[in-house]
Formats: sequence, C-alpha cells, structure tokens
Amino acid sequence: MGLLRGRAVTPRQAILVSRLGRAATLAILVIGITWCLIPLYVMATMAFKTPAEVATSSIWAFPRQPTLANFKEVLGSPNVVFALLFKNTVFIAVVNTVGVVLTSSLAAYAFGRMRFAGRDRLFIVLLSTMMLPGIVTMIPSYVVFAKIGWVDTFLPLTVPAFFGGGAFNIFLLRQFFGSIPRELDEAAVLDGAGHWTIFRHVILPLSGPALATVGVFTFVGSWRDFMGPLLYLNDSAKQTLEVGLSTYNALRAEKFHLMMAASLMVMLPLILLFLVGQRYFVKGIVMTGLK
Amino acid sequence: MGGDNVRFLVRLTRIGLLFCALLSAATASATVHLRIIAWDGEDNIVPVREAVQAFEKVHPDIQVTLQAVVNHYQEKLLAEVAAGTAPDVVHMDPPSFQKFARRGAILPLNQFFAETPGFDLKAYYKNLVNASSMNGLLYILPRDIAPIVPVFYNKRIFDEAGIPYPDGKWTWDFVERPELREHDFLWVMHQLTKRDASGKVIRWGFAPAWKTAMVDTCYLELGARIADNYENPTKVLFDDPRIVRAYQFVADLSMKQQWMPSDVEISSVEQTSAHKLFTEGRIAMLQSGIWDSTALRKEIVMGEPGFFDWDIAMAPAYKDGTRAYPTGGSGYSIMSQTKHPHEAWLLTQWMAGKPGMLPSAEQGMAQPAIRSLSQSPPWIPTARTPDELARPRNRIIMDRGADYVVFGPTNMDWPEVNDLVDQQLQSIFDGTSTAQAALSKGTALAQRRLDMLRKDESLGPFNWRIGAVAGLAILAALMGWIYGPEFRARRSRREKQESRTAYLFVLPCLLGLILFTFGPMILSFLMSFAKWDIIRPAQWRGLGNYQEALTSDPTFWVALRVTLVYTAAAVPIGLVTALALAMLLNTKVRGMPLWRTCYYLPAVVSGVAAAIVWKAVFRADGGVLNSIIYGPHGDHNFLGLASLLKPLATVNGQVNWLGDPRTALSSLVIMSLWGVGGGMVIMLAGLQGVPDYYYEAAILDGANGWQRFRSVTLPLISPTLFFSLITGFIGSFQVFTQAFVMTDGGPDNATMFYMLHLFKQAFLSLHMGYASALAWILFFIILCFTAAQLKGNKWVYYEGAR
Repeated sequence: MGLLRGRAVTPRQAILVSRLGRAATLAILVIGITWCLIPLYVMATMAFKTPAEVATSSIWAFPRQPTLANFKEVLGSPNVVFALLFKNTVFIAVVNTVGVVLTSSLAAYAFGRMRFAGRDRLFIVLLSTMMLPGIVTMIPSYVVFAKIGWVDTFLPLTVPAFFGGGAFNIFLLRQFFGSIPRELDEAAVLDGAGHWTIFRHVILPLSGPALATVGVFTFVGSWRDFMGPLLYLNDSAKQTLEVGLSTYNALRAEKFHLMMAASLMVMLPLILLFLVGQRYFVKGIVMTGLK
Repeated sequence: MGGDNVRFLVRLTRIGLLFCALLSAATASATVHLRIIAWDGEDNIVPVREAVQAFEKVHPDIQVTLQAVVNHYQEKLLAEVAAGTAPDVVHMDPPSFQKFARRGAILPLNQFFAETPGFDLKAYYKNLVNASSMNGLLYILPRDIAPIVPVFYNKRIFDEAGIPYPDGKWTWDFVERPELREHDFLWVMHQLTKRDASGKVIRWGFAPAWKTAMVDTCYLELGARIADNYENPTKVLFDDPRIVRAYQFVADLSMKQQWMPSDVEISSVEQTSAHKLFTEGRIAMLQSGIWDSTALRKEIVMGEPGFFDWDIAMAPAYKDGTRAYPTGGSGYSIMSQTKHPHEAWLLTQWMAGKPGMLPSAEQGMAQPAIRSLSQSPPWIPTARTPDELARPRNRIIMDRGADYVVFGPTNMDWPEVNDLVDQQLQSIFDGTSTAQAALSKGTALAQRRLDMLRKDESLGPFNWRIGAVAGLAILAALMGWIYGPEFRARRSRREKQESRTAYLFVLPCLLGLILFTFGPMILSFLMSFAKWDIIRPAQWRGLGNYQEALTSDPTFWVALRVTLVYTAAAVPIGLVTALALAMLLNTKVRGMPLWRTCYYLPAVVSGVAAAIVWKAVFRADGGVLNSIIYGPHGDHNFLGLASLLKPLATVNGQVNWLGDPRTALSSLVIMSLWGVGGGMVIMLAGLQGVPDYYYEAAILDGANGWQRFRSVTLPLISPTLFFSLITGFIGSFQVFTQAFVMTDGGPDNATMFYMLHLFKQAFLSLHMGYASALAWILFFIILCFTAAQLKGNKWVYYEGAR
C-alpha cells in the first residue's frame, strides 16, 4: 500500500491492490515450492520405477507403470528388518526430543530472563562449543564412551540430550524467552510466584512456536543422524533406519530405485509428523488475546 | 516335616544354582566371540552373511557377529582402534592396508600359515598377493579381484554394423588403422559411432566406466607407471611423456573425434552414467569391472522394449601385444587388538577361502581370488547355470586378464598425493587445458607434498602429564575469565538468591559441558600440538602443525578463501530469503501448514538422494538450469541470462556449472538456498511471537506497510535475526556435505571448503594432529567473527531484557 501513499484510496482500489498483492504472494510461493519439491519429485518417481526404467528413462520422467516392487524388496530384504530399525529410531528420536526440549528450555530461561554470576561470559563459552568442527572431537568422544562401556548401547546417543541439549537450541530459546514482555512475570511475582512458576506457567505456554521448532529440529536431527549410530552401535538389532538403509548407498551398486524407495520410507514419517504437529507452531491463545 | 521339606528345597536350589553357574562358566569359556566388519552393500553382503553362518555351523564354539558398514567404513574402524575396541577381522584392500600395517594395527598373516594344513598361498592370484604384502609379509588374505578387463558390448549394434563380435584379439594405437578392420579398436569404435543428419553424435562407439579407467589401461600398456616404486614411492611420475600422451589421447577421442562421449555428455551423475548410456543403447561398448553385470541383467530384460543381447570381451592390447589392466581387489585382515588371533585366522581363512568365495561367485559379481575357483563353475557359466545368471557368458576372460593386472600404489601417503593430481584432471577431459599443462602442474604439487611427507621428523613422545596439567590450566583460566569480574561485584542478598536459583536451571547444561563437551575439546586442543595418526600414540610436535598450516600448506589458504567467499555470499542470501519467505507465509495465506511443510521438506531429504538430483540440475548438457536459461534447443535467452553468461559458456555454448572452476562455488551457493526452509521455520516462529496488538496499534497510527515492517516487525524479531546471523556464520564456516558429495573439492580446488580439507587430512591421510590444528585455527576465526557480531549487537532489542 506504500504504492498509493499521498493519494486518496477508494475502497475499490484498495480491494484491487490487496488482490494483486495476494496474487503476487501466491506466485512467489508457488515458484519457491516448485524449487523445494524438485528433489522430492525425483525421489518419488524413481522409487516407483523398475530398474530397467530407471536405467533408460530421464530422471524427470514420470514412471510409465508405477510399481511397488522396490518398496517390497526393501521391506523384504534379509539385511534390513525395517520394523526393528523403525522402533529403534523412534525410541532414540523421542527420548532425545524430550531431553533436549526439557533441559535446553531450562538453561535458556536462566540465560534469557535471570541474572546470575558470570552469565554473559558463560554464554559465550557455551556458544563457542559450536565453533569447533565435530570431526576432531569425534574420536576422543568415542574413546570416552568406550572407556565407560557405553558402546553398543543407546546411552551415548540419548543421555547427552538431557544435559543442556546443545548450544544451538539454548541460544534459539534464549532469544525467544528474552523477547517476552517483562510485565508478565512482574505480575506473577506480585502474586508470589517464584522463577519455577514463572517458567512453567508464564514463559513455556507463551513459547509454543519456539519450543515446537526446537522439538522438530531435534527430532529430525536424531532421526537423520548417521555418524552417531554408525559409530556407537554394532549390534544389527540396535541399528537405526538411516544407517540400516545406507546399505543401498554403496557407490557401485547402482540401485537408485531401491535407494530412493528406502529414502522415501525414512522421510515419510518425518513429513507426517511435521504436518500433524503444525498446530504447535501457531502462537498460543494467550499471545493473541493479550492486553 | 515342613522344616525338612524347606531344607531340602534350599539344598536342591543351591545345587541347581551351582550347576547352572558351572554350566554357564563352562560355556562362557568355550564360546569365542568374534566380530567381523565388511563394506559390502546390499547384494554383496548376502553371500558374506551366508558364509559366516556356514562357519558358525562348522565351528559351534565360535560365535561371529557380522557388521556391514557401507559408508564411512574407515572412520568407524579408526575410532574403534583408538578406543581399543577394534573388531577381530576386517575387510581391507591394497590401497588402504599400509595405513594400518605400518602402524602395527593389523597382523602379518604368514605366522598362521604353518598351523594350517593344506593352506597354499600360491592358489591365490599372484599379483593380488603381492599387492596385499608389505616388506614380503602378507597383510590381507585376498577374497576377490576386480580387473577392469571386460569390454561389455551390445551385440545388436555389432550385428547392425556387420562387424564380427570382438574376440579379444584386437589392439589399439594412437591412430586408426582401417586396414586391420575389426582387429583395430579405434576402427571398431569409429564404425559404431553414429551421427544424425546434422552431424550430431547419437551413438558413441565406446566409453570407459570412468575416464581414467581407459587412461590407466593405455599408459600401463605403454609401460609407464605413476610412481617410481608403488610400495615406497619417492618420485611422482604423472608427467611421464607416455602418461601425458595417454591422457591427451583419451581426451581427444571424446572432444575431437567424438567416438567417445565427453565428460559433459556422460554427465556428472556418479560414475554410473556410462553404464546408463550402455543400457540405453547409446554406446556400443563399455569398459568396466565385472560388477556391472548384475545391474545389467536386471536392466536389460528379455521381452521388454530396448532389450539387446550383450557379452564381454577382453579390452584391447597395445599394438605391440602388451597387455595391462588397472584393477581392484579386497580381502580380510586380522586386527592386532584381537584377543583370539587363532580363531580370527580360522574365520579369515574361511571367508577368504573357498567357502567364503563360492556364494559370491554364484552371483557372478565378485571374482574369487583363488585362481582355480575363478576358472570353474559357478563363476564360469555352464549349461546348467540358470538363464538370469548366465550372462555374460565369456567370463573366462576375467581369469585370463588377471595375469596382466597392475595394482596402484599401496603406499599409505599415496592417496593424499594422488588427490592433488586428480584435482587437475577435470580440465583435461573438458578440454580447457592440455594434458601436458595439467599434469605438469599436478605432478609438481604432488611431488612437493610427497617430499614433505617423506621427511622424517624425530619427535619425542607426547608427555601426558604435562598435557593433563595444561588441560587443567586451560579450564582454570576459563573459570577465571568467567568469574573474575564477580569478585569485585557487590551483590545484594536477593541477587545472590536469584543467582543460586539460576544455577539450578543451568545445572544440566553445565554438567553436560563438563561431562561430554570439554573433555574431547581439550583433548583435540592438545592433539593440535602433536603428531597423531589415531592408531599409534601421539608425539609432541610443538607448534609444528600451526607452522605447517600457515607457511607450507598451499591448500590451507585456498580452503580458507573458498570458505570465506562462500560464507559472505550464502549467509546474507539465505537470511534474506528465509525472512522474505517467512513474511509471505505469515500473511494469513490459506493452507499455511502445507506450505510450511513443503518448504521444510528439503531439510529431511537424504543427502545422497539429494546429490543425485542436484547433479542433474546443474548438468551442462540438458540440466534443468541450462534448460531454463537456453531453452530445450539451446536458442533461448531467458531474461538475457544467456548473453550475460556468455564468457562462462564453455560447453556447446552453455555453462558447465559444477565442472567449471569459475561457477562451481556459485552453484553450491545456489544449492544452499534449498536449505532455507530450516531458517524460515525459525523466522516464522519469531514472527508468531510478535503480538498482534502492536500491528493494530501501528495501523491506527497510520503506519504503512514498510513503516510497520521497519518499526514493528524488525525490532521485535531482531533477536531471531541475530540468532540466525550468528548460527548462520558458524554453520557456514563449517560447511562440508555439499562439497563432499557433489564435487570433492574440485574442479581445481574451486570448492575445496576448509572442512573438506580438514576431513581429508584427518581420515584420508590420518594426520589427526594436523587436522586438530586446522580445527582450532577455524575455531579462533569463527570466535573472532562471533565476538565482533556480539559487540555490535546494539540493534538487537530484547523486550524482556534485564
């Protein structure tokens, strides 16, 4: 509407402009979506092609006769017990998500809304843990977990989540908690509430979108984690989907049809979860109805 | 009465328990557990598993766990070696075993020969045994050999051209010799190449599975070698005139004569695309390894459109009759850490013996390393072989060809040295450089690196006591820095109370830092002053690593520049795009959850699948990007981009996005836009946190759209922006995956990200100490950047700040 500044705007013009704006928005969004869906399209079409068709058709071509054979082959493979891998992966991802959301929000509350000794410098130290490439700490970490006998258990993949949940998540939540108006907890303090009560009953309910973001990132991250399970798990009955299905990624195997079917099956639960969990991304009622 | 019964029961239970304990002790001491890991994928692991199960049946007292590690095999193995939890038997091949053998991590196998009646090393292919040995000792018991001997040929195309099927007696020369007809390889290649009316090639005569497979064959047959000694090289010989000529020859065949597809036409989709062209009938002959046959059987199905009959023939000899072929091969080694070397040897000998080889041979995929097995069924098809396994019929040439194989250098420093030459090869094959120029440059770089690696430093052991003290001192200094100012500060009782409560909130986080994070960080810091190859104990190197990085490692500065350029481009572009998208989606668009999901989708797509798609997008020939810019027939000029890109259009007047050093990095920046969904989700969450009444108030005050954005949205989401900026920088400095799966740092180091260089140093060459130094240099660079941003964060507005 900046376009029409300085001129009287008739209602009809306003409607026209808003319609135009909406159309433009839609157009941009559609272009963006196309861009984002290209890989999914290719994965999906390849997963439904026969090996002969994958080998002879363009990767952009739609399958001539879509087949479920690839999915059946992956599910029936003697190397991969899909149900078991799925169960393990869900377990690790759920435990991680709970741990990370719980402990990172605690720490973020303190960093964002409390004053304590050494707060700002401690926060810089926390941030700095993100700055060292994981490649060089990977082997020392493995050695430590091996010494305490945690290798081939889920412990190295889950326990650390309950200890702060990582600088990234704490930082993210700190930024959100920090921007919630202060008057809210002052009111609560007048009612005699302590920090725990404020955290639990004022801040958390207002932070739905932020907590959902951290939750989704954590869930997707541990679902898709490759190096962790690869290093720490040996027993094939304990393996996760991402590692179990990497057997189709052997470079010379040329099994794009199976690889894509397998990848699609790994992704699908994540997409469903993301869709179902959408309502947590929307601002809490409190926030909209405030004042 | 009752008492007696009870006493009896108790006694009985005691005896029973004792018996159980004895039994379990007896079985525990008798059963030996072995762990074996292999890198075989999907199909290949099935026969390996069968062999393991058969072994357990024959040796009921040995229990074997088989683990297939298809990707990052070496990292997994090294971590386990470092922790002392290595498997007993490991899959190993000639190019990698020296890394372990020279450092004493795997056992020489000769000590076991005597205890095994009937064992005969002479039964194995001699070349393979030699390549598996070091200083005359055998370290790998070979399981399979994979000579690049076969030329797969399409019988239908030969029939149509009226040329007899190749019988392997053909030879090659640098020029075509029409008088020899089907016995001249170039003539056959030329004859089978088909052009349309406009002169455009629609079918090529020949392609190697990857270009260097043919180059290697050529210079090996000319008698040239890439190093003076393959076990212990001192000279890099890539600039040998015969090797230079071989490279130019192969490049010309595709770029000048066009009897072979060029690299652009083969596209950059994996090494498999020559294979794809063969399946499509677009090349008549394909030089590759025998492993291609299992896929070909499934892809070329009788009765389906596009079916043709095919077989294999021996790749041609040079005109003087000399034959030589590059090859692969692998086998099993025994780790020195094993507690049961004799049982491990039993397993090794089983897996790399007849019982282990037969199930794989049955598939027709892995050629047995024992010669007699390679000369008979099931490897060689007979009349009884089921039809689907019968092709290729001429599999006997795999055995004949094995006499001529030449393994590559086995030296442990070679992969890193060779990598420097590989970086230059692309420019030969796409015609932007002559073989002479590229190989001279590559050889000089490689020779310098080899000389440096060969220099023996006399280093003392790493003093762990001093290391521990230094570690504690670092922690103490850190504590001092954090809490120093507190000593001067005066706090009221209420403030102290709040401080105590706050520490309860951050307790898990602090414990996590102390328990899981600081230890490995400090350890890697100490290792940055050491020479550490992961396998052997570290040695003290002082500031040597840092000095090497800053003064004598040419790749360091290249990698740093590439990473900085990438960061400077990708972070702002990503930030603006994410914000713009989030604002659009926040305008109460209908179906918002679906939009948001779609935009976030790329973040959950698997890396390898994504890489395949992206390569197809950036292809020079028929890629999506070029199709948009130049149109399907190459005559469009989308938004004037075609004219704008004119100076960069090197391939058929179009841009070779990933293959050209000038555009490769920009392509990766474009690709990074695809991960913008994650940033958008965060921004959206930030926008959701802006209370509606602020906007309502602004509208009442008569603020227009821009003013509302400028004075309401921007300040209120500034904490989110700040977060995205900081983490964006930190993440971008450590970007790795794109280059790792897409370009491997090439062409000519154009996408050699800092992290890729670091990864190669850590795991390709096992310079973990040096890699740690690189990591800490990066740490300090990122720290400085972040500190500068934290200093200048006056624009960030926290409504709830104190």
